[in-house]
Amino acid sequence: MSTHTDPIDELDLANLVDLHELFSRVDPVPADLAERSRFAITVHALHAEVAELTRAEMLASRSPKDATRTESVTFTSGTVSLMVTTRVSDDGRSARIDGWVTRGGAVVEVVTAELTTRIATDANGRFVVDGLPRGWVHFLVWDDPERAEARPVITPSVEL
Amino acid sequence: MTPKPTASESLGHRAGEAFAAYQSGDHQRLGDLVELLTPVLWHTARAQGASGATAEDAIQTAWLRLVDSADRIADPYAVLAWLVITVKRETWRLVRGERREIDMEELPEAPALTLGPEQTSILGERQKTLWRHISSLPARCQELLRVIAFSDRPDYAAIAHALGMPVGSIGPTRGRCLQKLRVAIATDPSWEA
Repeated sequence: MSTHTDPIDELDLANLVDLHELFSRVDPVPADLAERSRFAITVHALHAEVAELTRAEMLASRSPKDATRTESVTFTSGTVSLMVTTRVSDDGRSARIDGWVTRGGAVVEVVTAELTTRIATDANGRFVVDGLPRGWVHFLVWDDPERAEARPVITPSVEL
Repeated sequence: MTPKPTASESLGHRAGEAFAAYQSGDHQRLGDLVELLTPVLWHTARAQGASGATAEDAIQTAWLRLVDSADRIADPYAVLAWLVITVKRETWRLVRGERREIDMEELPEAPALTLGPEQTSILGERQKTLWRHISSLPARCQELLRVIAFSDRPDYAAIAHALGMPVGSIGPTRGRCLQKLRVAIATDPSWEA
């Protein structure tokens, strides 16, 4: 007869695996909870100003041969606006972002779950990042990177 | 089934490594920590009977507390237990806040596992049987087993302690809760291991 003072054995571990599957089924973790937690941490840690998503549209999808999904999104804060156009690569694995910030010379961080890409915009505020992994992305914008104490603007997350 | 993790591969250990790196200035690693621990923290909050929205609020607040307290956490490998305690406390603070606004009758007295018809319909026969057994255990065992099911064996004792369970609830030995589940299942003729 086994008792509760016996060591945990394979049967106990198998029961816990069954419980893991059961609870994952009846009460799954919301898909974007981790992303939203990361976002809340960044806003908090950087005292960032949160931009609003003011416009999102699917750009005309073309013939079935060239069914590239292109999406255009605009974020606006009190100090700066950011427009990004995203395009998924032909193999569906990665995405390219063409961005435009209303202030030339701004610095933009493109933040995905796996990596953060920091890029300076050109004099007209344009920037391009290619080869991004699919998934959630948000942006941090420093409109005047010369000022060390400047608060960045952070955008809500959008899915690539 | 995933291979049995050794102490150095357990969820708590990997979380500790990510948090130690964060403490030494690698801020990117906090994202890894969030990724690793979101499932166990979700089930910690939901096991208290919190709504989905309350669970999310509690978890996000716990992360912000962690960022603010990062310098004061001496042992980075205790971060899993620290977050489990914080999420549980924060969930109850929010749930009690809700209670002041909502009629007492609308809220369950204690966290109890309940399943709506829609959730039941997606379960196979075996899972329905398991559900019947886990929901027949004392509420504290339901909570403990649910949370440790989202961690690894070397972490069980620290999690039991973090949830306020008596010493020996679960650790190197199966403790009373795993034993009760085992006995319930073993005496069910419809259960096939």
